[in-house]
Amino acid sequence: MSSTRRGNHHHHHQSPMASTLRPYLTCIRNTLDAAMCLQNFPCQEVERHNKPEVELKSSPELLLNPVLICRNEAEKCLIETSINSLRISLKVKQADELENILTKKFLRFLSMRAEAFQVLRRKPVQGYDISFLITNYHCEEMQKHKLIDFIDIDKEISELKMSVNTRGRLVATEFLKQFI
Amino acid sequence: MTCIERASPALNQILLKLYSAEKPMEIDHHLYEFGSAEYHILSEASDPRVAFLSISTAPLCPGVLATNELSSYTIEMIKALCPAVVEIAESTREGYQLTLKLNLTKIPRGKDYIKVIKEISTVHSVILSSQLKEILWNFNSDDAIKGMHKPIKLVYNPREPFFVIRQPQQMIAVFPIRFAEKSDVIISTAFFQELVDVGSSDRYAKAPPCSWSAIPPPELRGEAFEDLSTNGGFVSFDISSHHVDGKRLDKTVWNLLNFNAYVRYHVKTTKGFIQRRMRKRLENLVEVLHHTESLEQVNEQITRHQGCSTKRLVRSSKYSILKQRWGNLGRKLKRIHFRLKIQGFGRFRQRWLRLPKFSSREYTKLD
Repeated sequence: MSSTRRGNHHHHHQSPMASTLRPYLTCIRNTLDAAMCLQNFPCQEVERHNKPEVELKSSPELLLNPVLICRNEAEKCLIETSINSLRISLKVKQADELENILTKKFLRFLSMRAEAFQVLRRKPVQGYDISFLITNYHCEEMQKHKLIDFIDIDKEISELKMSVNTRGRLVATEFLKQFI
Repeated sequence: MTCIERASPALNQILLKLYSAEKPMEIDHHLYEFGSAEYHILSEASDPRVAFLSISTAPLCPGVLATNELSSYTIEMIKALCPAVVEIAESTREGYQLTLKLNLTKIPRGKDYIKVIKEISTVHSVILSSQLKEILWNFNSDDAIKGMHKPIKLVYNPREPFFVIRQPQQMIAVFPIRFAEKSDVIISTAFFQELVDVGSSDRYAKAPPCSWSAIPPPELRGEAFEDLSTNGGFVSFDISSHHVDGKRLDKTVWNLLNFNAYVRYHVKTTKGFIQRRMRKRLENLVEVLHHTESLEQVNEQITRHQGCSTKRLVRSSKYSILKQRWGNLGRKLKRIHFRLKIQGFGRFRQRWLRLPKFSSREYTKLD
């Protein structure tokens, strides 16, 4: 009896939102794992050029079927693959107006500095908040699983929102203290 | 946060400079400050013991106060600032409401002079506080009997008026909130929610209860449309007699006068805070990315040093291919055997015909 009870100390009550996050991220991870098999492929249309085929979309034989992974109506991930490049677009959840402006600010901040990240697209695909473009050269230079870990944006926004609210609470406390 | 400090920082600095000057100096300064305050400081070298400070400020409530002159209560409050040093001048400078004569020789020596000069610099806050106190005291008794309390519109900052409504048991201060940008509205709304939440806790039960609503409160119905059209909602404070007893009256009045400025300052600093957080997070993410790249280079070195029989390149980038081909050419050149042996040629060849080595530090990869 004691051994079975010892194993049952922690009962985590998971909210419905938290319970769908893990399968969603796992599905994205597995899809990316399969999709990141890229190879060098010179452009068929222009001599001595090497272009990411997923952006051009000029040769259908070089493109794979895009995969759309939806966590709910507000959160989804679109993975478009081609022979030498892969484009991932994310729509991030925005539960309230504060998350909305924080998401917009943060993602715009990152996109403006896309050259620091190499894999980030300066402008997100229409209908999404952020897009990444990964080519075969990135796969050669960087570790695949680290690239996948890089793409977890939800946590950033949640932490930012929490720190803004905590700060607001401290300021409110200081203001009300003056009356006492 | 200079807009909420009672003492005017510019006035404080000028008076300190005047007091601490080794030689008599001439000063003729005009100052314009937040809250429509205007100062004039005059000091002549011929009489360094005395300085004249003139002040003018817009009325807090234009509709209630009949003239622009300061009331006797306000003048009494100003006289009480530093009675030994401050006197009301007989003639007021033209264009100003009040001129004070400062006897600099009567300012105490030692460390106390800083405190005295700071107190003199609070003259504007004294005027505003006393005006607000008078307005709150002199409510219309007829209105009170009928149960109607007309809101009193107060203008500290011309673009940000607020209202005070007198009720039998309490007063309500209502602040219409307006911002130019939508993001400011959202940040301020989040702040007001925290303010209401903290104010309703037991620890701050003595602070005035606070509430926020997106629509004008019922007490303000009938006011001008431009005063009630906002994008940030309305914040209300219920001020009871407890909050205006004795020394608390000054604090309460000053906090209410500066609430709008406080909120704007908080929104501004929050935006700066968000920017700093994002920048720091960006640096961390870039560091992670570069760390994965440098891990790749370490892995490559380990595989080479292991001495595998089949050479396997971890990275097949253009740089490593070029390096490999150059190395092959160099080795071929070294294996060339000359038929004729010339004395000293070997040393000559080693020194002048050696192929340059490319080090990874100096080579810049072309993208």
